[in-house]
Amino acid sequence: MNGRLLAAILIVAGVAVGLFGSTYVLTVGISAAIFATVATAFNMVYGYTGLLCLGQVAFLGIGAYGSAVLSKDYGLSFWLSAPAGAALASLFGLLIGYSSLRLSRHSFGIATLTASLLCVILARNWVEVTRGSMGLPGLPAPHLGSLSIEHPRDFFWLAFAFAIISIAIMAAVLSSRIGRGFLAVKGNEALARTQGLNTLGYKLLSLAISAFFTGLGGALLVTHLTIVDPSIFDFYYTETLLIMVVIGGLGHFWAVILSAVAFTVIPDLLLFSKDLRMILYGFVLIAAVLSFPKGIAGLARQRAVDGWRKRLAAQARQAAPATSGGSSHG
Amino acid sequence: MDTAFALQLLVNGLMIGAVYALIASGLSLTFGVIGIVNFAHGELYMVFAMLAYFVAGYLETPFSLSIALVMLTALCVGAVLYEVLLRRLAGKDFERSVLGTMGLAMVLQNGAIFLFTTTPRMVPHTLSYSAYTFGSVAVPALKLLAAALATAALGLVWWMLHHTQLGRAMRGLAQSHDAAMMVGIDVRAVSRLAVAIGVGLAGLAGAALAPVYSIHPTMGFAFIFKAFAIVTIGGLGNFGGTIIAALMIGMLESFAGTLGSLVMADTLSFAFMILILLFKPEGLFGRGVRI
Repeated sequence: MNGRLLAAILIVAGVAVGLFGSTYVLTVGISAAIFATVATAFNMVYGYTGLLCLGQVAFLGIGAYGSAVLSKDYGLSFWLSAPAGAALASLFGLLIGYSSLRLSRHSFGIATLTASLLCVILARNWVEVTRGSMGLPGLPAPHLGSLSIEHPRDFFWLAFAFAIISIAIMAAVLSSRIGRGFLAVKGNEALARTQGLNTLGYKLLSLAISAFFTGLGGALLVTHLTIVDPSIFDFYYTETLLIMVVIGGLGHFWAVILSAVAFTVIPDLLLFSKDLRMILYGFVLIAAVLSFPKGIAGLARQRAVDGWRKRLAAQARQAAPATSGGSSHG
Repeated sequence: MDTAFALQLLVNGLMIGAVYALIASGLSLTFGVIGIVNFAHGELYMVFAMLAYFVAGYLETPFSLSIALVMLTALCVGAVLYEVLLRRLAGKDFERSVLGTMGLAMVLQNGAIFLFTTTPRMVPHTLSYSAYTFGSVAVPALKLLAAALATAALGLVWWMLHHTQLGRAMRGLAQSHDAAMMVGIDVRAVSRLAVAIGVGLAGLAGAALAPVYSIHPTMGFAFIFKAFAIVTIGGLGNFGGTIIAALMIGMLESFAGTLGSLVMADTLSFAFMILILLFKPEGLFGRGVRI
């Protein structure tokens, strides 16, 4: 489907939710907006640059904790604390990226996964800053002038605006020279390097940008929940992001956003418990890997290509009798 | 620190290490032979510990019999797992195998939570509170038993890898898939057996440790990270390296956990892994796949 059309549909749907949604619908909408952004950020690293980074949840949590600590303990407003938390996540992304990108692809996955586990240990035990497993409750709501953004409707508009701006920035990056650099790294790293591309630089940039928007998403998520505790580092988020990106289709921009929204909204509407949802996600992941590894978007593209091929073959067959008949020697 | 205390910590570390070696070497063997990092290995360990709990509870079999039963089941599960899932992922994109096995881990872990809730369970055992003392060193009986079983099983696998035709085939397969095929090794059968043994080791660990640690659906998760750290330090696919790394981590935990805190022990083993990765990305014991 056309990207611009999909974007328009999503924006209209978002505006409709913001104008007419009930409190429940608005709450689901907030999650959908945040997850669409975070999944897009993951798509940038995994889908475009080809790095299976299993530490995305670390970025989410560091952005969340950074923002929460700065706003609660240091009295910073949300507008400053959230970007600061995101910058911290970005810095962390550069750090683990720099230390683990020289490894084989196996080790990169394991190292990033381990980094996210270290974050849980840190969150539980660095009590002076994180309050341990109690977490930081009562996070202050963002203020806009005299308006305190607390009501779900107001918060939805904030999340929606955040999603649109972040996704637009990431779309711009991905369609620029930088985005082509990412694709070159994914396509054939050795070749890209012989063409004079600084492949390590592109990988780090991809991680840093992705970590920034993931961290921002984390800050928004915990501000909405008004509490942050170590469960923000739950592996569940990593798994959910993987599902969204893999099922949507790696490297397909709009398809991933659509699948992120679908995977946030549908389980919520069907009232699945978290365990049941994750069992189902697991089966879906296995099925996807076995039968359509390029995601639904990849499947659709494959269908389209097959269609063209069939049409071309039919045309060729129609044209064939005239030419082959003329040159035949009986 | 006096020598008796140090000796006690050393023995504790060796026992923890033996158990870690059991879990990590299964992971290493699977990776070595079929090139797949099995992210569901920890969850398989959890499932077999659960199975041991139910076997002990409902069939009321003696401990030794339930270990044998669980291990036999694990071997079969491993063979089926290879045929149903891993065979289709082997040799393809590395990422596909990560996603596939991670999907399996999600199903197993959340399935266990769904069926059995997160309540921790204990397998009672007559030896639960008894310990042997050697000089000044006290050794809990069940931990000693688990460590002895681990040593025996690993010794057996080691012997198999180096002294039997099958073991040579596995090592050949690990070195070069194509060359192994060319000299007539039945890749599918050997791979299936390697995975079965890998999962069997997880089953043995689950059953042997069932009375030692409490059993709950997320227990595999913590263990698998430890196992990842160990195989990374020892070199992925390096069987001997894995065992040495497991003993090192066990020792590190024993000393850091007693002298510092348990948190420090966990953090240290991961920090150790990151340090190794920074300075020796291929692991401590050399580059390449070697089982």
